[in-house]
Amino acid sequence: MSQTIPFLILLSAVSSARAADLHAPAQATAGNSIAIASGGSGKATFYLIGPASVIKRQVLAGTDISVEGDDLQNSGRYVAILCGSEGCGSSPFFVHPATPNRLTLQVHPSRVPVASVNGISTVAFVFDNFHNLVLKSPPVKFSILPKDGKEVSADRPVENAVAWVRLTSARKQGTTKIGAAIGHAQETRVVEQVAAEACNLRIHANRDKNGFLVETDPVRDCSGNPVPDGTVVSFTMSDSAGKTTVDVPIKRGVAKIAMPIKGRARISAASGVVTGNELEVGG
Amino acid sequence: MSALLRYCVLGVGFAGLLCALAVLYLRASASDEVPRVEFSAKNIGPRPIEDLTSQHVPRDYALAWQTMEQALDENRPDLLDAYFTGFAKEDLAKRVNSQIQAGMHVRYQDRGHQLEGIFYAPAGDAMELRDRAQLDIQVYDGGKVIYDEPIDAQYIVLMTPGADRWLVRKLQAVGGEKP
Repeated sequence: MSQTIPFLILLSAVSSARAADLHAPAQATAGNSIAIASGGSGKATFYLIGPASVIKRQVLAGTDISVEGDDLQNSGRYVAILCGSEGCGSSPFFVHPATPNRLTLQVHPSRVPVASVNGISTVAFVFDNFHNLVLKSPPVKFSILPKDGKEVSADRPVENAVAWVRLTSARKQGTTKIGAAIGHAQETRVVEQVAAEACNLRIHANRDKNGFLVETDPVRDCSGNPVPDGTVVSFTMSDSAGKTTVDVPIKRGVAKIAMPIKGRARISAASGVVTGNELEVGG
Repeated sequence: MSALLRYCVLGVGFAGLLCALAVLYLRASASDEVPRVEFSAKNIGPRPIEDLTSQHVPRDYALAWQTMEQALDENRPDLLDAYFTGFAKEDLAKRVNSQIQAGMHVRYQDRGHQLEGIFYAPAGDAMELRDRAQLDIQVYDGGKVIYDEPIDAQYIVLMTPGADRWLVRKLQAVGGEKP
């Protein structure tokens, strides 16, 4: 008898959990701690398989197993497993995203011609603090802040963690800020609005010692913005010898070229899809 | 009599060898096989999907699952480089590394995916999809199976175009109150 009692104590100490049932909570939120109730008794091994982590530790079956919020930051399906001497039990559960508090904002393109209808694509993806997509959330507030103008804003609904809007660029060139906000999160992108295609391209010609100097008027788009230097203007000369085309980049707002013309010739200019006036020179 | 016994032992041994080979073959073919993905883009918007994109997205998504399953089974985070990026790659790499620390691995038997495009960004630089996947999941601690269950899972997926393929940027299980 005197040997039986220590033996029972020892047996109790080293025995593993018999039953291994687990009861995870029905709801869990990312970043929040939970307690998982377990059945049975004795030592057991607890596992938690999550989207971004695997935990394995020794626990005492029959007690509540606490899981820290740090181990539940990823939204998704988790499986809690408890293994004792008579096998393993499991309890899958979902961790839902926390409240929306982060945004990923994609604005394209970063340079856009002025007055481009629906030319700017703005898409916001809504996340919680732990980078989980928040499928249902309040609307995202989009705003446009021109360099020297008043801010304009509008709300757009969030569907499957996405809110989006297409914007038309302003008529005046320059930078504009496009922002999106939800909760404490605010993201801003800068878009450069540049002059569009040349409009009303006009050329004039003056005699010089070798022929004619052909020059455009200051090249502007249809909204009056100067077309950027480097944009190519193609000058075409047709005379009795045939047709010659020369590409000339705009410098300081105008494109010019000296053309050695003998006899009569027709000169025209084009930039992109825009053609200018035609001149008849010589004779 | 002793000859009969010897033949019986040989027969049992041969059968055992065949079983072992079959197990090895099935294990190899599970990770070699590209999962079946049925793709629907009839409700996608606002940008209409291009023909080529509608072929590449399900192909690349299937290859992403194949590499993910292999990475989680063989505990090889390097396999994630090919078809994952951003948070998805970060999360899965963390998962594989914690599996290595715990001496565990997870095996998926992939029974197919129904992939539906739900959002295609106007600039064509992001696509959101919903996946209904049928999977058998086995969790191993060392060589011992501690969890084995078939599941019908739903995922919300973000994919973005890379140089020559679409990459999974976010893979998040969504679904019921109690899976």
